[in-house]
Amino acid sequence: MKMIRAMVRPEAADIITEGLAEGGFFSLTKMHVFGRGKQKGIKIGDVHYDELPKVMIMLVVKEDAVDEVVDLIKVNAYTGNFGDGKIFVTPIDATYTVRTGETGI
Amino acid sequence: MKEIMAIIRPKKVSKTKDVLDKLGYPAFTAVSVMGRGKQRGIAGEVNCEPPADILKRSGGMKYIPKRLISLTVHDADVELIVKAIIKVNHTGQIGDGRIFVSPVDNVVRVRTSEEGDQAIA
Repeated sequence: MKMIRAMVRPEAADIITEGLAEGGFFSLTKMHVFGRGKQKGIKIGDVHYDELPKVMIMLVVKEDAVDEVVDLIKVNAYTGNFGDGKIFVTPIDATYTVRTGETGI
Repeated sequence: MKEIMAIIRPKKVSKTKDVLDKLGYPAFTAVSVMGRGKQRGIAGEVNCEPPADILKRSGGMKYIPKRLISLTVHDADVELIVKAIIKVNHTGQIGDGRIFVSPVDNVVRVRTSEEGDQAIA
């Protein structure tokens, strides 16, 4: 299993989660985060914004679904400008459902 | 070392804290998150009474408020901690949460620069 963490634009978050739901990936967690990228934030006029608000979407999927999920996120998060976000994929050893105590997604 | 990430009900956090403290892991990070599971969000599981028109809508709420707690533990303690979290948070209702276990390469305590197993409590 892999955990996919995508930092995306807040305004794109709902479109992405809807896209994921259509693809069959309903379960996810999202949180508001602040961050900056290679461009060191953004400069608008005289004001320099160092950390920009983003939404982090986090979901755990089976290994063979990783590419599909990443593609779904990429398609819906894309605007072509700086700040579209990044996707990280990390390994997960085990998952448990609290209600049943079972392992697996 | 393993990181245990548990997404649980907000009202179960303090009980979970007490149990983790007794097991020797008082340190953890908590984040307030929104999420949904296989059931795509169910309005019935929040602590307050949601308006009737929200309940009527199929699919319920879009996201449910949850607490994400994350702690790093020694390899040997993973099962103990996971079982303890499951025991405390189990209600049998949908929305009890999920636990993820992932590998951690290194841990550094900033104050003393200790690394690895020593840096964990």
